[in-house]
Amino acid sequence: MGSDSTFAAQKRASGGLPTTVATANGVRGRAASVIPRGRQIHKTFNNIKITILCGFVTILVLRGTIGLGNLVSSESDAENQQLIEETNRILAEIRSDKDPTDPDDQTGEFLNPNVTYTLGPRITTWDEDRKVWLQKNPEFPNYVNGKPRILLVTGSPPNPCDNAIGDHYLLKAIKNKIDYCRIHGIETVYNMAHLDMELAGYWAKLPLIRRLMLSHPEVEWIWWMDSDALFTDMVFEIPVSKYNEYNMVIHGYPDLLFDQNSWIALNTGSFLFRNCQWSLDLLDAWAPMGPKGPIREEAGKILTANLKGRPAFEADDQSALIYLLISQKDQWMDKVFVENSYYLHGYWAGLVDRYEEMIEKYHPGLGDERWPFVTHFVGCKPCGSYGDYPVERCLKSMERAFNFADNQVLNLYGFRHRGLNSLIFGIRCIQAVDLGASYYTFISEQHYAVYKWTDQEIFSSRLYNERVLKTYRL
Amino acid sequence: MLDRFLGPRRARQIQRLLRNGKLTLFCLLLTVIVLRGNLGAGKFGTPEKDLDEIRETFSYIRKRTEPRRVLEEATAAQGQQKSSSSTDGTENGSNNYAEFDIRKILKDEDDGTEEFKRDPSLPYSLGPKISDWDQQRAEWLKMNPNFPNFIAPKKPRVLLVTGSSPKPCENPVGDHYLLKSIKNKIDYCRLHGIEIFYNMALLDAEMAGFWAKLPLIRKLLLSHPEVEFLWWMDSDAMFTDMAFEVPWERYKDHNFVMHGWNEMIYDQKNWIGLNTGSFLLRNCQWSLDILDTWAPMGPKGKVREEAGKLLTRELKDRPVFEADDQSAMVYILGTQKDKWGDKVYLESAYYLHGYWGILVDRYEEMIENYHPGLGDHRWPLVTHFVGCKPCGKFGDYPVERCLKQMDRAFNFGDNQILQMYGFTHKTLASRRVKRTRNETSNPLEVRDELGLLHPAFKAVKVSSS
Repeated sequence: MGSDSTFAAQKRASGGLPTTVATANGVRGRAASVIPRGRQIHKTFNNIKITILCGFVTILVLRGTIGLGNLVSSESDAENQQLIEETNRILAEIRSDKDPTDPDDQTGEFLNPNVTYTLGPRITTWDEDRKVWLQKNPEFPNYVNGKPRILLVTGSPPNPCDNAIGDHYLLKAIKNKIDYCRIHGIETVYNMAHLDMELAGYWAKLPLIRRLMLSHPEVEWIWWMDSDALFTDMVFEIPVSKYNEYNMVIHGYPDLLFDQNSWIALNTGSFLFRNCQWSLDLLDAWAPMGPKGPIREEAGKILTANLKGRPAFEADDQSALIYLLISQKDQWMDKVFVENSYYLHGYWAGLVDRYEEMIEKYHPGLGDERWPFVTHFVGCKPCGSYGDYPVERCLKSMERAFNFADNQVLNLYGFRHRGLNSLIFGIRCIQAVDLGASYYTFISEQHYAVYKWTDQEIFSSRLYNERVLKTYRL
Repeated sequence: MLDRFLGPRRARQIQRLLRNGKLTLFCLLLTVIVLRGNLGAGKFGTPEKDLDEIRETFSYIRKRTEPRRVLEEATAAQGQQKSSSSTDGTENGSNNYAEFDIRKILKDEDDGTEEFKRDPSLPYSLGPKISDWDQQRAEWLKMNPNFPNFIAPKKPRVLLVTGSSPKPCENPVGDHYLLKSIKNKIDYCRLHGIEIFYNMALLDAEMAGFWAKLPLIRKLLLSHPEVEFLWWMDSDAMFTDMAFEVPWERYKDHNFVMHGWNEMIYDQKNWIGLNTGSFLLRNCQWSLDILDTWAPMGPKGKVREEAGKLLTRELKDRPVFEADDQSAMVYILGTQKDKWGDKVYLESAYYLHGYWGILVDRYEEMIENYHPGLGDHRWPLVTHFVGCKPCGKFGDYPVERCLKQMDRAFNFGDNQILQMYGFTHKTLASRRVKRTRNETSNPLEVRDELGLLHPAFKAVKVSSS
């Protein structure tokens, strides 16, 4: 046994070193030099086998611990790939506009240009009908607590946005509107349906507004707001009494409108319509340029020719309204209030960089260039693939505007964002301690800063809906 | 030993053979172990899978019918690679949203003031203890008659609270479903005169995740004394019965209404005996007290882990994971029935929370046989997509089923809104709408089928203003 073991040991020793057969045992060594060919080959084979085996085990261990990528593709990899492809397919299907279950999903037909488009059967007695209805339904008055009933209408397409970040900002925008409307007692309608396939895109608001007006006679004012417009002054309330004699309130500049015929003289991203016959007539006059296809194209050319600065593209509702008001000035302008004393629509580019300055110098409740009521991100188009401005600037600015507004809401609960650029992770907690007669004292939890509201701030905070001004109990 | 039977050479050969065999077997064993440990060997699985299987046989998990799906876009990954190499060139930034990496703007700003760190040795509390909230609130309501807590004789003022993370969803379509969900809630609440609070703030970093609702609820109760009931609703729950008005009168002697079954809580202590995805909480001292009792299991870290173990031990069928608010509430009610039970109403007559798995396939049947306004199994008030987690990457159910069914549930509810205006979705799966009523020149004479345009529960008190 002993000789065998040494023999075996030598065998193992020599197994790793095929060439050096010179072993410790001299006797064996001499014998090894005359090992026949067959044996040598046999030994080599064994060595190779063992090498391969060890190599294999090494690769396995390596793969298990470090991972060697595609070197050894296994079943689970292929499965993962399949899963990813399948989910991509699902996402693509969800995002696509096509409706697989819809039997008559036709995209090729357009309205005959010779037929004038109408939003619906002509109504001529809306004012009287509405008055009768209001009398018969006193539990649905059009004035509540002395204020007219306002309905805020906004919306977005029913499909997911082309990119995920668009939906996220739509969500933040609707949260922003929910907050403003809750504070001011305004009802919200969020539309995600194409009520009329002819008037798709920016024109979709027309049939929607008409439909809501007719279905809700108790609503006095319908306020359309684009999905890319954010409220940035939570305290400011629209001075509706100013508009008793008017039926439409829209932000713009009369000189740009009548003197220069500029295509951006008015902005239809945020405007108010009274629920009355006049508005129905205006909608009927506005709609004809809208129907998709050759009508819209032709109308676009007319508008580009007549309005200053307008690029060449299909007719949009804003240009069409401007053109309508210019060309039929006498018929409509006496009831249209072109508002520019506060930012019913505030073009974002000139406002977003000044937020810190505003926080320092001014206070909410002003609504104008000192503290804009609405910041409207025209041109950013976060729901689409391409905007008119660099993406980073757009998204950063939207984030800032959102936080600027959200601070005003969080303040009610004793919180604020850490900075305008930060997400909500950084919340500074402030605690009300003393309710003196003339001021509220806020002391931060770390007792670092004492933020005393000045009389001016108290005054403007009293403009808050009174329910908000209350004792903070923690 | 073998020498005796065979020649010495033979014996040596056999021994060599044996040794080789031993070596081979040993290496084979090593290989199998390594394979199993790293790759899994098909049916035999990995040791982790063994552990999971053992866990599964001893617990009742919300059904995993199919393995988890990873939701990420391979194209997005490629796109990012491309953009990372090309962003160096673009100075003023590109206008293309597809190439943009949102992480660039998702950084947290520091304004210099130090982070507030709670002393870990002190027990967690939601805030300073208040013991006279009922009196404080009554005083406030007296001083502010313009903000009554009842907006109609039998109708309390309700605030619906929901929320989601301030970060964009990991799932590319998650935000879209959050948007649809909030639209659905806006519609129901507009019809029923309920206000909405959409939260995107983490008020207390320690109570993150499902516990985030507790500090929020307390804060809202205290800031809005005019609110009589606070209705918490998860972001993955949708209203599917727009006509159903919650029977407020039924709860005039109760402070906490949840969907659940008394036997499952008090007798069995089953962890899914109630659901905290949709519940009503009255604004009163009792509610503040129960929130204070509820909170201690919440703080992230060791507290939550230990609490999770306790809950798994004490509750029936609960799997092993950190403490969640639902199990904690089951535990509180199960162990302190005398203290809290008389003011808690476990509602099972209608679906204040409706588990989606048993509802979504029956929508067509419901449309055929029943009508809105029932709120129960015939036409559920709420369809709650527990486990779907559309905002995250991993859910407990296959992605396709979840998203498709969420679309159907949304359309089911939306149809009831659209019918007010004469429209309906073409099918429950379709986003397109079609007319059900032609426009007329006498719009005021048209009545919508469900009477939702001017429902009785929205009527304003006729008062001299």
